[in-house]
Amino acid sequence: MVESVTSFWTRRLRSVLLTLVAALLLVLVFYAGSIAFVDTAYLTGWVLFAVILMLAFFNLRKRLTYPPLLKAATWLRLHVYLGCLAVLVFAFHTRMQIPTGALEVTLYLLFVTLAASGFVGLYLSRTIPNSLADRGNEVIFERIPRFRRELGERMQALVLAAVETEAAFILSDFYRDRLHAYLAGPTDYWAHLIRSTRPRELLLHELHELRRYLSDGEIAVAEEIAEIIRLKYDLDFHYVRQGLLKIWLFIHIPLTWVLLLFLLAHIVIVYAFAGTFA
Amino acid sequence: MAADANIMEVPKRWDLPFSLDLVNEAERRHLSEAELDELLSKPPFCDMDAERFPRSLPLREVLRNDTRIRTYRDGDVVVRAGDYGNSAFLIIEGGCRAILDGLDRSVFNQSGQQRKSVWNSVKGIFTAPRLPEVRDASRYPQRDHANLQVGGTGALLVQDVPNLLSLVDDPYGTTTNTVMPTGTLFGELSALGRVQRAVSVVAADATESRLLEIRWQGLRELMRYDPALRDHVNALFRENGLQAALRNSPLLMRANLTQEQWDQITQDAEFETFGSYDWFGTYKELRQHQVDPLSQEPVIVEEDQYANGLILIRAGFARLSRRHGKGESTFGYLGKGDVFGLAELMHNAGSHKQVSLQATLRAAGYADLVRIPTRTFEEILYPALVDDWQSGALPRKVLGEQLDRRTYERRSEKRSESSLIASDRRRRVNNAGPDMMEFLVENRFINGTATMMIDLDRCTRCDDCVSACASGHDNNPRFIRHGQVHNHFMVANACMHCEDPVCMLGCPTGAIHRREGDGEVVINDITCIGCGTCANSCPYDNIRMVNVRDQAAGGAIMVDPARGRPIAKATKCDLCADHHGGPACERACPHDALKRVHMDELEDLSKWLNR
Repeated sequence: MVESVTSFWTRRLRSVLLTLVAALLLVLVFYAGSIAFVDTAYLTGWVLFAVILMLAFFNLRKRLTYPPLLKAATWLRLHVYLGCLAVLVFAFHTRMQIPTGALEVTLYLLFVTLAASGFVGLYLSRTIPNSLADRGNEVIFERIPRFRRELGERMQALVLAAVETEAAFILSDFYRDRLHAYLAGPTDYWAHLIRSTRPRELLLHELHELRRYLSDGEIAVAEEIAEIIRLKYDLDFHYVRQGLLKIWLFIHIPLTWVLLLFLLAHIVIVYAFAGTFA
Repeated sequence: MAADANIMEVPKRWDLPFSLDLVNEAERRHLSEAELDELLSKPPFCDMDAERFPRSLPLREVLRNDTRIRTYRDGDVVVRAGDYGNSAFLIIEGGCRAILDGLDRSVFNQSGQQRKSVWNSVKGIFTAPRLPEVRDASRYPQRDHANLQVGGTGALLVQDVPNLLSLVDDPYGTTTNTVMPTGTLFGELSALGRVQRAVSVVAADATESRLLEIRWQGLRELMRYDPALRDHVNALFRENGLQAALRNSPLLMRANLTQEQWDQITQDAEFETFGSYDWFGTYKELRQHQVDPLSQEPVIVEEDQYANGLILIRAGFARLSRRHGKGESTFGYLGKGDVFGLAELMHNAGSHKQVSLQATLRAAGYADLVRIPTRTFEEILYPALVDDWQSGALPRKVLGEQLDRRTYERRSEKRSESSLIASDRRRRVNNAGPDMMEFLVENRFINGTATMMIDLDRCTRCDDCVSACASGHDNNPRFIRHGQVHNHFMVANACMHCEDPVCMLGCPTGAIHRREGDGEVVINDITCIGCGTCANSCPYDNIRMVNVRDQAAGGAIMVDPARGRPIAKATKCDLCADHHGGPACERACPHDALKRVHMDELEDLSKWLNR
C-alpha cells in the first residue's frame, strides 16, 4: 500500500524534460528528412496519426477499469505531454500554413479546436478545483438541484410562517419580487465564472436595507433568509463551476472522434491520389 | 416460478451454517448428528450446562451452526502468524504444533478467497446488470426447517482450557517441538481481539488431526452462557495477550534478551486497558451532542508526571497532546506496536537529572497497553538498548515513538532540562500539520488502514473514481464521494478497513470478516442476513444497507413473503479484493487526487499532503 510520493514539481520537471527531449528528437528527424530531400509529409503525418491515436486511447482507458493498465493519472500525464508533442508535429505537418482543400481545412480547424479545448480543459481542471475547495460547502453535482429545491421550500415555509406570525408583508413582498426567482434555478452564471460575489452582496444589501421596516421577529427571519441566500449562492457557484468542468469534455471528446473519422478519410484520399501527382 | 422468483424469506443467522461457509467445495458439509453427539460427549462441551443456554440459542445448535470440523494431515498449516482470523480452534483428535516465528508465505497452500481473472473482470464491465444491487438468488441458502432441531443435553461442567503458550518449551524461540494435545483451544486471542494471529500452527499427528473450528460469534455465545469458560478464556486472553504484545514488540526484540530477562519482564509487566472496547457507541453519541472528545478520553499518563514505566500499545489508539494555553494541542497519536515514554526513560536512566513526561497520553476510544515498570526497564532494557540509543542506531521503524537524541540534546542545551523531547514521529506529525492531526484524531480517522483521502485542490469532481468502483461491483459504487473536509482534504465515505473494525463486533453470522492474508474487512453477501448491526456500529457511516433484487425475476426487489419486507444486505468498499490491480478508485483518478492512506504510515501521508 505504501508507495513513494513524488512532489508535483519534481514530476513536472521530469515530464517536461522528457517531452523536450522527445520534441528535439522529432525535430532532428524531420530536419534530417527535409535536407535529404525526402517528402516528410508522410513521416510527420503518420507520426501525428499515431500520437492522436494514443491520445484517444486515454478516453478508452477511462472507460475500462479492467484490465488494470497503468494508473489513469499516468495516462493523463502522457495525454497532456503527448498533446503538446502533437501540436509540434502538426506544425511540421502543415508547415505552419492553412491548407486549401475543404477536407484539409476542416481537418485543420478540427485539430486546432481540439488542441485548444485540451489546453482550456487543462487550465480549467487545474484552477476550478481549487476555487471549489476554497468556497467550501462541498456538494455532489447531481445533488445540487435537490438541495436547491430544498432551500426554496425552506425559504417559502419560512416566509409563510413569518406572514402568519409576524404579518411580515415586507419580507413576503421581497420574497415574491426577488427571492422566488433567485431560488427557482441557477443564477449569476457570469459572476460565478469570474468568482465574483457581487450579486449575492447586492441581494443581501437589499435585504439589509429592509431592516428599518422590520420588527424584531422579522429581523430574526431576515437573518435566516440571508443564510439561505448565501447557501444558494454557494450551490450555484458549485453548479456553474462543476458544470464547466463537465461541459468542456462534451466538446473535447466528440471532437476527438470526429477528427479521427476525418483523419481516416484524409489518409485514404492521400494514398488514393498519391500516384496522381507524383 | 418466475413470478415468485423475487420471493425470499428474510435471511436468518444460521441459514448458512459455518460448516458450509468454506471456499473448498469438498470440505463443505453439515455436521452430522453423530458428530454433534461426539462433540457433546467431549470436554469442554460435556462439562457445560446446556440449561444455561437460552431456547433460541441451544448449545447443540451453536455447535451445529457456528462450528465446523476440519481435518488436517501431518504438517498442514492450520493458521499462519500475521493473518487475521475470525475463529478459534479446538483440537478434538490428534495434535498441533505452534511455530512462533513467521513462516515463509510460500510454504502455505491456503485456500483463501480467489480473485477474479482479468478476463472475468473485463467481462463484468460489459455484463453488469443495469439495475442496482441485482443478485443471483440461487446463491443464497434455502432454509431447511426440518433440519433445524432445537434441544439441549444434560448438565455440563467446565473444562480447563490449556494455555497455548504455556505448553511451549521455548516460547521465545522460533519453533517448538511440543505438540498441543487434544482439548487444546487456540486462536481465541485473534478471534476475540480482532488482531492478527501471533503464531503459526501446523497439524502434528502421524495420521490426521481433527480440529473443531469455532467462529468467534459461536465462541462468544459459549463464553456468554458458560461462566467458567468465559473466565478461563478471558484469563488466557489477557495472559496470551501480554506475552504476545511483549514478544511482538520490535523494541524488545531488538534488545536481544535472555530467557531469564524475558521471564522477568513478563512477570513485572502489567496489562492495562483504558477506555471502552465498544467505544464507537459513545463516540457516535458524542458526535451527535458535539461534546469535546478530549474530555471523554481517559488519561493514561499526564504531561509532567514521573515516567513510571515504558508503555507499549497493544491494541487501540492513544492521543498525544501537550498543554497549549488553556487547552491542549494534539500533535500525534500512537497505535498498535508503538511505545511511549522511551525517550524520558532512556534519559533518566543515564542521567542524574530527571525529566518528567513531555506529553499527555489518552485512550482515543480504547487502548490496550502493556506497562513495563521503570525499575524493570532500568535493570533490563536500558543496558540492552543504551549502545544503540547513544549511537543513534535504533532504527526508526523499530520504535513507535521514534527518537531523535540529537534534537533532544540540542534543545536541552538551549532550554531547561524539562524541555520537549522531540521525536521523529512528532516531527513527521508536524509536517502533516497539527490541525490535520487534530482533525484525524478527533474524528478517529486514525483507525483507517485504507482511508480514502481526496485532495479537493486537484479533484475535478469527475466521479471517475465512483464509476471505476461501480464497474468492479456490478454497477454498484461502494462508496460516496462525500465526507468530512479539512482544509482542502476530504475523508470520503468509503470503508477505511479499520485497524480496529468495530463493525465486526455484533455481526451474528460472521458475514463481515477480515480476509485471510491482507486483512481487508469484507462482507460475505451470502451469509449477511441484513440485520444492519454493522452499519449501525460503523462510527464513520461507511456501511450501507441496500435492498437486493433478483436477477431471475428481472430485477424485482426480493421480498420476504411472511413479513412483506424487502431483503436487505450490507454493502461497503472491499478494496476491490476480488480483482487484480488494487483499489480501482485510486487507479482511476486522472488527477492523482485520491489516495487510500494507511494512517500508520504518517511519513507517507505527510509527503502526500505536502506534495
